[in-house]
Amino acid sequence: MVAGFGDLTILHDVSLDVAVGKVTVLLGANGAGKTTLFRAITGLLPPRAGRIALFGEPIAGRAPHLIARAGIGHVPSGRELFPRMPVGVHLDLGARLCPPELRATLRERVLGLFPEIAERLNQYAGTLSGGEQQMVAIARALMTNPRVLLLDEPSAGLAPKVVLSVFQALAKLQDQGMSVLLAEQSMTFGLSVASRAYIIREGRIVLSGTPAELAAERSVVQAYLGA
Amino acid sequence: MIVLQLVVNGVLLGGTYILLAQGLNLVFGVMGIVNLAHGAIITLAGLFTYWFATQTHQSPLLLIPAVFIAMLAIGAVLQRLLLEPLAKLGGKGELLNLMVTFGLSYVIVETALNFFGSQYVSLPDLQTTWPVGGLAFNEALVAAGAFGALISGCLHIWLHYTASGQALLATSQNPTGAVTCGIDVRRMRGIAFALGTALAATAGVLLILILPLSAPTADTLTILSFVIVALGGLGDYRGAVMAALLLGLVQSAVGYYLGGDVEVVVPYLLLITFMVVRPQGLGQATR
Repeated sequence: MVAGFGDLTILHDVSLDVAVGKVTVLLGANGAGKTTLFRAITGLLPPRAGRIALFGEPIAGRAPHLIARAGIGHVPSGRELFPRMPVGVHLDLGARLCPPELRATLRERVLGLFPEIAERLNQYAGTLSGGEQQMVAIARALMTNPRVLLLDEPSAGLAPKVVLSVFQALAKLQDQGMSVLLAEQSMTFGLSVASRAYIIREGRIVLSGTPAELAAERSVVQAYLGA
Repeated sequence: MIVLQLVVNGVLLGGTYILLAQGLNLVFGVMGIVNLAHGAIITLAGLFTYWFATQTHQSPLLLIPAVFIAMLAIGAVLQRLLLEPLAKLGGKGELLNLMVTFGLSYVIVETALNFFGSQYVSLPDLQTTWPVGGLAFNEALVAAGAFGALISGCLHIWLHYTASGQALLATSQNPTGAVTCGIDVRRMRGIAFALGTALAATAGVLLILILPLSAPTADTLTILSFVIVALGGLGDYRGAVMAALLLGLVQSAVGYYLGGDVEVVVPYLLLITFMVVRPQGLGQATR
């Protein structure tokens, strides 16, 4: 896939697979192209060339809301919540894409995953802490009943303890069989949950492998991540 | 007693202002653009109402449902043809949006001049004043105020308690977040502009009962509506209600104690004061 803005090409021939029921991690430094890749997949920045398939169904070039409806759940960087709407309404808005008969069960499961926000359903999202906002963003995406969940740096700007609880929720999601593509800057956090990892640098995939393989080449990976 | 009467007048005037501003506010909230044709739509609807009422001798209030529905459709078409092509440009489109709506305003005003001439007209309907407990209630102001309250109430219920309204509110607060919920943001922009146009036209039907209108009034009404929207916190519809009431109250008091010359500058003085003291407006605004 190739993507960019105007005359600027950000992603050069990027190719990756998200395994069904597994967490795939995309590791890269700031500005490596992680968010651009996510925006290309979700249709917010339609790719210049290439193919994006969701369980074999081509989705590149569709309008972004149709890609969401096709089953790509997106937790964007910066969370993109509705600051003056209650947490509960965020879940309702996500649930618009979920078949009505599944909504109640899904809501229960999502709130079970994030008990912290279950107590705050009537609170405006803008008044929550950063960690809680991240949980609301993930919960909103999960309520769409996605076939693949895209998580764009859920750890950004959060205290390590909060990051830990977000990643614990992620591990539980994987146990429930959710297919996840996770963008992350931290090798330690990223590899801790993933079954496969891709390293992106300057818009190109430069390395990929299982966490064990990449951990063996720790210094190379660290160099690519600019750490 | 005089203070009470001034409060009554102020609240009723505020109700009329709510009616004027709410459409502009909705368009700004969802689309992020200032519709400079807002006042022209109000004026055109007012002049059309005058023509209709003088030709048919029917009550102008009968026009409201028809005007509302017709303008929903016209607004949707205008948005699709003129404004939607600019939406893709993002921030770069802002100036173009202003130019397009300014051009639209110009076209409407010139058309109105051709059809209705440039003289100021007003309808003598609903001019009864009801005395209640020593206070005077002007019938036209009560009708306009009641419609302002009704429309704001309906907007509130729609935006907060229905799926389609929540989708529109979500789009106004965060379009990217709305897209992740599968909301068609393009459609929401169309709905917002259609509703904004219909609300402006409805305001015009009632305004001709309160104020003398003529084609050139369009600019004054756009500016007045914008002042209310800005005071309320740009796109915050509850803030706009508070701003309209505040403006109505201050204007009625200033008009009585300091005279009409000072009264007309009240909106601008209030706006300047707010920009200094509370630039985020009266609402809870965290845009």
